Amino acid sequence: MPASSVTETLPASALGSPAHPAWLSRLGLKPSTGILLLWLVLIVLVPNLLLIGTSFLKTKSGFLAFDPSFDNYLRLWKSTGFWVLLERTLRLSFLSCVAGALVAYPLAFYVGRVVRRHKPFLVLLIVLPLWISLLMRVFAWRLILGQSGVLNNFLVSSGLLDKPSEAFLYTSSSVILVFAYISIPFIFISTLSAFEKIPQSLLEASKDSGASAFQTFRFVVWPLTRRSLAIGFSLAFLVTVGDYVTPAMVGGVDGTTIGVLIASQFGMANNWPYGAAVAIVLILSVGSVLAVVLVLCPSRGILLGDEGVRVMAPPQTPGARVGALFSGVGFTAAILFLYAPLALIFLFSLNDSTLQTFPMQGFSTRWYSELVQNEGLLTAARRSLVVAFFVVTFSTVVGTGFALALHYSRLSCSRLVEVALALPLATPGVVLGVVMVLGTEWLSIPSGLVRTVIGQSSFVMPVTLMLVLARLRRLDPTLVEASLDAGATRLQTFAYVLLPLIRGSITGGALLGLTLSADDVMVTLFLAGPSQTLPIWVLNQMRFGFTPTVNAVFVVLAVACVLLVLVATRTSKPSSIGAR
Amino acid sequence: MTAAVRLPAPAQEAASVLALESIDKTYEGADKPALDRVSFQVAPGEFFSLLGPSGSGKTTILRMIAGFETPDRGRVLMDGHSVNHVPPNRRDVRTVFQSYALFPHLTVRDNVQYSLKVGGTPRAERDRLSADALAMVDMSPYADRLPHQLSGGQRQRIALARAIVCRPRILLLDEPLGALDLRLRQQMQHTLVALQKELGIAFVYVTHDQSEALSMSNRVAIMRNGRIAQLGTPQDLYFAPASEFVAGFVGRSNLIPLQFVKTGGIAIADVLGVPAPELTDSREGAARMALRFEAVRLETLSEQTAPGPTGVIEDVLFLGTNFEVNVRCGDLNIIASVPATKDQHFAVGQKVRVVLDLSHARIFRD
Repeated sequence: MPASSVTETLPASALGSPAHPAWLSRLGLKPSTGILLLWLVLIVLVPNLLLIGTSFLKTKSGFLAFDPSFDNYLRLWKSTGFWVLLERTLRLSFLSCVAGALVAYPLAFYVGRVVRRHKPFLVLLIVLPLWISLLMRVFAWRLILGQSGVLNNFLVSSGLLDKPSEAFLYTSSSVILVFAYISIPFIFISTLSAFEKIPQSLLEASKDSGASAFQTFRFVVWPLTRRSLAIGFSLAFLVTVGDYVTPAMVGGVDGTTIGVLIASQFGMANNWPYGAAVAIVLILSVGSVLAVVLVLCPSRGILLGDEGVRVMAPPQTPGARVGALFSGVGFTAAILFLYAPLALIFLFSLNDSTLQTFPMQGFSTRWYSELVQNEGLLTAARRSLVVAFFVVTFSTVVGTGFALALHYSRLSCSRLVEVALALPLATPGVVLGVVMVLGTEWLSIPSGLVRTVIGQSSFVMPVTLMLVLARLRRLDPTLVEASLDAGATRLQTFAYVLLPLIRGSITGGALLGLTLSADDVMVTLFLAGPSQTLPIWVLNQMRFGFTPTVNAVFVVLAVACVLLVLVATRTSKPSSIGAR
Repeated sequence: MTAAVRLPAPAQEAASVLALESIDKTYEGADKPALDRVSFQVAPGEFFSLLGPSGSGKTTILRMIAGFETPDRGRVLMDGHSVNHVPPNRRDVRTVFQSYALFPHLTVRDNVQYSLKVGGTPRAERDRLSADALAMVDMSPYADRLPHQLSGGQRQRIALARAIVCRPRILLLDEPLGALDLRLRQQMQHTLVALQKELGIAFVYVTHDQSEALSMSNRVAIMRNGRIAQLGTPQDLYFAPASEFVAGFVGRSNLIPLQFVKTGGIAIADVLGVPAPELTDSREGAARMALRFEAVRLETLSEQTAPGPTGVIEDVLFLGTNFEVNVRCGDLNIIASVPATKDQHFAVGQKVRVVLDLSHARIFRD
């Protein structure tokens, strides 16, 4: 194993003794802060430094050799293939996010400012696909675009085409389509709040000043929402750039991306240093693209919003009514686009045929009954449950503790620590996977469940942390003071005042963490080794031939995730109580 | 710029820059109308105030003039033409919003220039006009700041400058001083009146603060439950309130029950057991009287200049120029506003005689 040689790249003093109180108190640190720093060092700092370190090493007969040089970077610099791949990766992600933004931005405007009824439901409807297995979404598109897929089937049978076209699947446009599909909920959710936050009085002040609807958009709405759009765009960009499964499944040769290259260097090709160098170049390029995007969409001034959200008045002129009709139709179309692929999987899971194509052969639940008999699947599912249990328990406890520590200890650099802890969330999936491989190798943790739990916790913990932290920041700080003032101890204050107020966010974070853990492919694929979790098992099934059983798995998983998310939104709702 | 014209009341319709004709409005889902047959006219250059408690329909009227609401029935006329179907951006009306509604991403200068920019005024002209408007509200040094870098009072001035920069015929102000502290509020009242005189713009001013409305306006409409309870000059409202509601809302008044007793041809009022021959009516029965705090005088029991009920002082507030003394007379509390002098003092528990100056009393019968 290359672990020992990796260690050499770091000075031995980087992480001295384990955290014990004496060592901490000598540094003037509280235990909670100590654990926080320990996490920061072990999960974030060291693994990322290892990635940088490894990129300067070489590989000799399958092992890492400590022989620092710029060779890997020189090799990249000279390789035309690499530049083509990098350019394509960035272009594909960029174009898909632009396409996604073109759908999500108007959608967020519509839901945020126009819709007057069932708004929470509509928001949930658009965001829900985020929590549904990525594999299911990608696979659904394969069913639609494939050579014997639904689209070809329809075009041939309706006489528009003579024979099935190969132009739909395994092209770069199919990657863009699927990536755009993935990016819509991300961009929607971050722009929605920007639209909601604009005080109605600003729009009225603009109209009152004589501005037309277009001028109001250009001079008021756009400057106030562009930063959020850029952030949503960045999120989606990070997610798609780090995705090495989707391009491999729908992209074919034209759709291969850097992510696939990195994954192969840490897999089949077994050249970690080269893979690490590629990952670093990828991070730097992604960073520069996003920096440009954020600079082009600056935010200026601070909203002094002192009034709640008010939706627009119902359309009163005939022109406005036509507009409302059009936007309603557009909204419905977007929802259909989001859900049609998922519905397709559901239909085929009940189809009494091994062929994934219309017309359906009749109703059957046999794929579901086969599920229960499939030993490999059941093992993988059990493993997924075990992993998710540990990831969620661990992340919830640690994340809540960290949130409290960050909020109440008044650490001088708490913002910085928060950003650092959340870094894994902002790392492209493929890079995070590689980073966690390096980190766990260094700690001599073998492939398998423990490694998977640590790897998943690196991005599940920040979810809880950020949710709880956001909740704590919205709390009226005098509540805690009032409790202490009434004679309660710190522990009593936590139990009787704080916990009931943040419980919603904690459960919400735990349930969302559960779906994140259960659906994860990007990171887990690097760490699980032979102990496959359910998504990895499914992915392998899809690689080596395919039975409609997978459809049934997807449906069961999706239903479970949807139920979890519904419960999560329910339980986190009362969190508005006590907010300032 | 037109010269300042200050008319107490427009004589005819042609003289009005703005008129509302029996406006009805009921919001979707509401069971009571927000506005119920509201009509009034505003003369060019007039300072017209809408005064009333929250929910009385003041803001709805303002939004209707600005074009953000459409009436269910009735017409909004500007210069004699109906503007019911003219959208807000084509009305020659500007609003100073209660929340100021300054664009957070634009500098003070760009905020002030906004209406000129969307109207296509060339840049040089825009800069000149916005500099003028900023100078008018004494905010020239702040042109390059962003709104969040200003204090509440400064934001208020910018909102005002933005609204007057292109000299609209009508300016709507929605409780513009509501968020300011007392000193700033008094300062701004002077600024507003001076500005209005200088520009000759008709102001329609919404407030729930009676002193604000009375001190600045040519005329005031008092709103209650979507209707105009009384419309008149501040003096009319103060000295001749048409209803208990108006009396209670304008100035500070005691509401004292009385009884008319027939003696011969006319009925004479009996106020707390003391006959008041200056108050007469044609018929007998119970009534109520609104009497301002300053129309109540207090005497020690040893003095005997005028008849009146006796009572016990319950509490005393020192307000600088005067004392407000709360006297308990049987079941009733009467408040007297007594000029503060150095040697005079009232003790809680002291017995006093309450002398009522009934010349300004207003009688209300059911």
